Amino acid sequence: MRIRALAAAAVLVAVLSIPANAFAYLTWFEFTRQSNISSPLTMAWQYGPGYYGTQTWRAGSGVSTDACWVGHGWLPTGYYDLRGHWDNYNGTIRGRVFYLQDKTCWNGTWRTQLFIHSEETAGQGQYCPTAGDDPYCWDGPSDYYSNGCIKVSRAGNPSDLRLVHDGWHGKSGDYRHGYFTINNWLYVRG
Amino acid sequence: MKRVFGARGAVAALTIAAGVAAALAIFGVFGAHGAVPRTGPLTVRTGLKSPPVAFVRGDGLFRDKSGRSQLGAAVSGAMIGPLSPVAVGSTDGKLIAYNTWQELRTVDDEQSFSEQSIAEGDALGIPSLRVHDDAGNDLVVARGAYSAAWRQDGALAFAKGVDPDFRAGRTYNAQVVVRRGIHGRDVAWTTEPAHYVVYAWAGDRLLFYRVGLGEKLELFVADGPGKLRPLADGSAIAVSPDATRVAVLSQDATNVRVLEVASGSELSWLDVTTATTPLKWVAYSGSWVGDHIVVPASAGLAVLHVGSGSLELEQVLSLEHAEFPAGVQQPRFTDAAGNEIAATADIPPANGRAGLSFLLQCDRIARSCDRGEPAPAKEWLRQVDETAASGEGGH
Repeated sequence: MRIRALAAAAVLVAVLSIPANAFAYLTWFEFTRQSNISSPLTMAWQYGPGYYGTQTWRAGSGVSTDACWVGHGWLPTGYYDLRGHWDNYNGTIRGRVFYLQDKTCWNGTWRTQLFIHSEETAGQGQYCPTAGDDPYCWDGPSDYYSNGCIKVSRAGNPSDLRLVHDGWHGKSGDYRHGYFTINNWLYVRG
Repeated sequence: MKRVFGARGAVAALTIAAGVAAALAIFGVFGAHGAVPRTGPLTVRTGLKSPPVAFVRGDGLFRDKSGRSQLGAAVSGAMIGPLSPVAVGSTDGKLIAYNTWQELRTVDDEQSFSEQSIAEGDALGIPSLRVHDDAGNDLVVARGAYSAAWRQDGALAFAKGVDPDFRAGRTYNAQVVVRRGIHGRDVAWTTEPAHYVVYAWAGDRLLFYRVGLGEKLELFVADGPGKLRPLADGSAIAVSPDATRVAVLSQDATNVRVLEVASGSELSWLDVTTATTPLKWVAYSGSWVGDHIVVPASAGLAVLHVGSGSLELEQVLSLEHAEFPAGVQQPRFTDAAGNEIAATADIPPANGRAGLSFLLQCDRIARSCDRGEPAPAKEWLRQVDETAASGEGGH
């Protein structure tokens, strides 16, 4: 009995001695532009030298494929820093959001105030008061269209938004919220 | 058995047949000469030597009559994209207001800010608004300013930044101001700073955007200083020639509405995804002549017919996607009949080649376009918006 207790205590000590970020992997996202309403958003994490894990979701961006079209075209290519992350954002975009840096497209036009998000309320719920397209309600595939932001689905349980959100926290071990910067958090190609 | 055709019947049948033949002949002649606009592909030829519109490129202003004029700085739509014209002619045709961008540090668009040691708040550039006149004079109207619109009386509206510098990680907050003449005093028409872009005048009323999170576009109208009204969630396609109406586009780019500017009331409506020739989307910044509106569309170009209480998709002019992957922007009618259209086409970078722009001049009846010489996209080859002088509806 005493030996068992000692062994348990040893295990507990060993577990507690592991740094809090021991399971925190270098984690980032990649968005491969294929179409406005169906392009893969991949979360990648490095769990050892040369070892990577990935998880991919369907995502959308823009209405047209011209990245220089403000409020209309998809996201410009290149690396993006993360500017912040919120669980209950309450602007014109709501709920769980990842705020990206501003970016110039290939003719020099600035694309600004861009996010990865979905369609949900600030409380992470669904508000679907009409039979038409509601801005805080995932109505279907047409909701992948955006003014430029990357959007993932809020349908199902767990939704892709939740998997992206929880996946980010779980793999990165980064539970910060609000404004902060993570370098090269997203790469957009295609 | 009853006779199907009697003598009278035969005469009637012959008369009808002759009538139909005559109608077909007339239709064929008019069709051949391009009287009837029809939906179909546009044929694009190279060799547009002398565009019928004034245009800017780099630090040059090009007009058919006077050739190239040297501008005081290179044009740039860095702050506006296609939301507002890069260069706008005054009502009397003597002045051209144009947007410029002074780069304070080089930004590589493929690299992140952190990779370039750009910190939050670092100044990246300054937009400025300049005016060029017939005599070749060229002056800065305002530093930290962009998106211009001339009123009939020569007043100039534009967005003026609270801080002239565009900074990394900061929203470029501005006020919409109106200046009586280029040397006048700025009068703020907005009450709170925000990311505004001036679109156009509709008579004495000013239309402008507020750009929000996720580049959400809200169209506002100002009846005077501090007298603002939200007009529509979405963007503007064109102002009617009589300046009483504006065609607006929904956020999802599928619904076009014609609104009365004075009241905001809806006069007509069209869902382009369910039109006779369905379109995935249409886009903002087109033009309006007579009862026709031309608008960028997923297929290429679309022409809408505005009736009394109705709005119809009259014609779709499609462009080869492989040749025009980004479609065309800012199409404008160049004749009073609304048959000739000038537009800019951008070709995104590919296979190590930088992005390109060129002008297209199209005949929507013949369904053909002439294409100008390509220019680097960063030189901002764009038509000068001369709708104020032409009596055409605002862009």
